[in-house]
Amino acid sequence: MHIFEGFLPSPWWQIWFAVSIPVIMYGIYQMNKLVSQRREIVPLLAVAGAFIFVMSSLKLPSVTGSSSHPTGTGMAAILFGPAVTSVLSVIVLLYQSLFLAHGGLTTLGANVFSMGIAGPFVAYAFYKMASKAGMNFYLNVFLATAIANWVTYVVTSLQLALAFPFEGSVFASFKMFALVFATTQVPLAIMEGALTALIMKYVVQIKGDVLVGLNVLTSSAATKLREAME
Amino acid sequence: MTHILDDYAVSSPLRYRNNWLKLTVVAFGILAGVSSNSPFVPLVIAVCMSFATVYFGKVPAGPYFRILAAPAGFVMVSAVIIAFFFGEGEKLFSFEVLGFTLGVGSAGLNMALLVLARTLGGMSCLLFLSLTTPMIELFSVLKATRIPDSFIEISMMMYRYIFVFLEVAMGVKYAQTVRLGYKDFRTSFRSVAMLATNLFIRSWEQGEKLYVSMNSRCYDGKLTMLDEKRPVRLLEIVLTCGYFTLVLAVFYFTRGISFI
Repeated sequence: MHIFEGFLPSPWWQIWFAVSIPVIMYGIYQMNKLVSQRREIVPLLAVAGAFIFVMSSLKLPSVTGSSSHPTGTGMAAILFGPAVTSVLSVIVLLYQSLFLAHGGLTTLGANVFSMGIAGPFVAYAFYKMASKAGMNFYLNVFLATAIANWVTYVVTSLQLALAFPFEGSVFASFKMFALVFATTQVPLAIMEGALTALIMKYVVQIKGDVLVGLNVLTSSAATKLREAME
Repeated sequence: MTHILDDYAVSSPLRYRNNWLKLTVVAFGILAGVSSNSPFVPLVIAVCMSFATVYFGKVPAGPYFRILAAPAGFVMVSAVIIAFFFGEGEKLFSFEVLGFTLGVGSAGLNMALLVLARTLGGMSCLLFLSLTTPMIELFSVLKATRIPDSFIEISMMMYRYIFVFLEVAMGVKYAQTVRLGYKDFRTSFRSVAMLATNLFIRSWEQGEKLYVSMNSRCYDGKLTMLDEKRPVRLLEIVLTCGYFTLVLAVFYFTRGISFI
């Protein structure tokens, strides 16, 4: 869910930039370290970013008839980890605001925080914990991506509520924004989760070694999943 | 999905103007709009920037206003919420729904109009940039800043591959559509999943190929590109200064004034 250009008033867009920039700096630091060890990672990251962009510009079939876009960042967090995802999402969000008129430049900080930092970090933490606890891989992917989407939407509602408190109460406006956007976001998150789980199923089927190489799955888990399909 | 804004930018005559000048104009408009307290400033900015985009940038007016309306859904919903609930004070009118009293106060309505105007102003500035300046031109600007090289490298390669994948995605989607892949909800869900998987696997293989091909051409972590020199013309300076003065004057005279 993008906040559009000019929507956040003055102290707030600067604050969200101030919150996001240190995390992005850390992400770039991590990425540079990764790149200096394995140089082949640069083109891979670039095509991954392009993939996220194209994914997020695909229209999901939606029950309500309105067009809805997956964020794609939950999937990216599972595949590449949250630090790299945050850097990629900065570029993706910049391109979305310039190419698709989704989002904006002053609100970039707020959007990066909700879609590129909060969502992916929670999704990654959930995925790692659940896979350690031995949860079914597809269920795990489904939940992690759906949760990433929900966290993104809750954070966006909070950002709007902080900027526009009702009668001095942030909580009241948060409830209101969250309630209204829930009508589109709750089904959308479930759709995105199901879609990502289905994508993972196909990827395991056709090119499971990619997931093993990215440390998403251990090789024994990948073989087990593939055997279960046959 | 068929048209992204970059397509218009590539054929825009303003493409060959000075990038820094365009960025200054856009940054000025965005900052002035966001920091103004009356809805008139962003509205003036919106009118000026739309005129500049359509008249100087030669963007067809129909598609332009359709793109400008893209954020309408999100903005209208949020503005209605703000109108009903923001601020205290007298209610202009109110009614009861399910036992709750809903009312629109003057503070709320003013805030909602201000937010609407700001979004309109901001989006028109953003569209001016994206409809007249292809991303290629902006890379040289990015290189002149202190943004880390690896970040810019990745954005440049990503830019290239967005077009490659969009074309693949459109081709696959077309093929799926003619085979009734989107006839109902279930099939279209399956089709989208297959499309995305195919895209993921293909992008993966493409990434590996790209690394090999760049490595064999001595890639050492730096892509260099030609930065053309484009002097600013006198007429452009005059127009920009006129625009700045107009916005600043409106800013000064409409301080604290609101519609209601």
